[in-house]
Amino acid sequence: MIQLNEEGQNISEFEKPEVSGWAKASLIMGILGLTAVPVVGAILAIIFARIAKRQILQTDLEGDGLATAGQALGVIGLVVVGLAVTVFLMQDRLREFSRDFFDWDTMKYSIPLLGQGFLVTLKLALVSEACILVLGLIVALLRISRIKIFRFLAAVYIDVIRGIPLILQIFVIYFGLTYLGLNFTRFTAGVVALTVCYAAYEAEIFRAGIESVHKGQMEASRSLGMTYMQSMRHIVLPQAVRRVIPPLSNEFIMLTKDTALVAFIGLGEIFLTGKEIMGKKANVTPLVGVALFFLLVTIPAMRGVQYLEKRLARGD
Amino acid sequence: MTTRKKKSEQAVEPVYDGSIINIIELHKKFGDFDALKGISLEVMPQQVVVVVGPSGSGKSTMLRCINGLEQATRGHIFIEDVEVTHRATDINKVRQKVGMVFQSFNLFPHLTALRNVTLAPTKVRKVSQDEANEKALALLDKVGLKDKADAFPAHLSGGQQQRVAIARALAMDPDVMLFDEVTSALDPELVSEVLDTMKDLAFEGMTMMVVTHEMGFAKEVGSRLIFMDEGLVVEDGDPETIFTNPQHPRTQDFFSKILSHI
Repeated sequence: MIQLNEEGQNISEFEKPEVSGWAKASLIMGILGLTAVPVVGAILAIIFARIAKRQILQTDLEGDGLATAGQALGVIGLVVVGLAVTVFLMQDRLREFSRDFFDWDTMKYSIPLLGQGFLVTLKLALVSEACILVLGLIVALLRISRIKIFRFLAAVYIDVIRGIPLILQIFVIYFGLTYLGLNFTRFTAGVVALTVCYAAYEAEIFRAGIESVHKGQMEASRSLGMTYMQSMRHIVLPQAVRRVIPPLSNEFIMLTKDTALVAFIGLGEIFLTGKEIMGKKANVTPLVGVALFFLLVTIPAMRGVQYLEKRLARGD
Repeated sequence: MTTRKKKSEQAVEPVYDGSIINIIELHKKFGDFDALKGISLEVMPQQVVVVVGPSGSGKSTMLRCINGLEQATRGHIFIEDVEVTHRATDINKVRQKVGMVFQSFNLFPHLTALRNVTLAPTKVRKVSQDEANEKALALLDKVGLKDKADAFPAHLSGGQQQRVAIARALAMDPDVMLFDEVTSALDPELVSEVLDTMKDLAFEGMTMMVVTHEMGFAKEVGSRLIFMDEGLVVEDGDPETIFTNPQHPRTQDFFSKILSHI
């Protein structure tokens, strides 16, 4: 091999190092593999690239980047061919799939109806969340109360509810309420069921938040003559709530998704609406629409939670 | 001094001898551990009682029993003529007369210095926010922190936080102030600013009980020194006398250990 940069050589005499021929060939084959000579060109590109890389390792030749590019083009060429073959072989199935899941006409027909259902879903989620926050906080305060029976009852509630699937609770509450002579609408029953269930989880989050506030805060507040409830309200809760905003927001996202379960007692929210259109049109596209509607809310919400977490972490 | 006059007018019970704090045979157990084994002690108006003793001797527990943060297992504690240890006593009323400052400051981190000071007066005394602000600013001025009124605790040094905590306790016009090792968590160079604030308070005639390891403060400001060990008051008297001529072997031992460092 030629010694290109021997010591003592003048910069002006410095020659550009030679690029490996294999690397150049690999790149050319990669391009051909994607165009004129599929498969063979791609395979050759990968083989040439390997040879080029070994050569470059052992000698002073340049062109590692070229070889990598050739290799990548080769792989892409193979994947494209593979996909094309699959699509060709399965074209009937794929056509069916796209017709059943992504039919544009069905989608156009579904969106206004789904939008109406989604308003119900959002209303259900928001009304429930408001009730959940109140009930969850009350249960959390009972859970840490000094009165034993309150602590016991709160613990039983939290454990039992958390131990039963939500779908079961929805059924039991809906039919149970009817037996009690309470003729709730499906919407109200849905709110009650979601509230009863989620309040148990959020109570635990609130409790963790309250307990994370240093007990010196309560002592300092009490030592000034404030009552337990005053201290809770003005000193402990403001600090606790700040800390649990991220987990509470996550619960809210989960709740939004779980509203779909209320479809099982026949509330015309978005999932049931989608299911009905699906039945009518014998097409799954509406359900894809339902999924897209959920993502419309949940993804921004998740981003929002992450932003909140960062901001709160900085604030402490 | 006006508060003092009011108090003597209030003191209607014949047996009440004018003491601010009266502790009788106070016992406190934590599980099987005897923290206090029978403390009897009377604090008169304008006394600055400095409480010293090795850690675990029950100094802090005694202070915390006085304002009901810990419940006495046995014995009686009176604040003026009200029995703290009585079941029917409204502890929140008593606590308004007893200011407390903690080792770990315990400022409310979500509130500004000013709001830290005004919160209790507005919520407990139902003083208007304007009135409370005015008073709080005067108190912050007194502890040298008027310009920090709008700062949050996280932006204050330890010494500044502790001075805000003192102002906060003073805002309820207490008749006695309890200081629970208030300089122990401070960087050495910040200790003096807090001690100076306490000194000013003592010279104004505030009744104080001070648990501390600052022997210089005890000597200069203390009107009375109490040495505690293993849940008992071992020695009680004039600070200078006890420093120079401790009677009890345990007091001698304690002072020989710590005074050699001064």
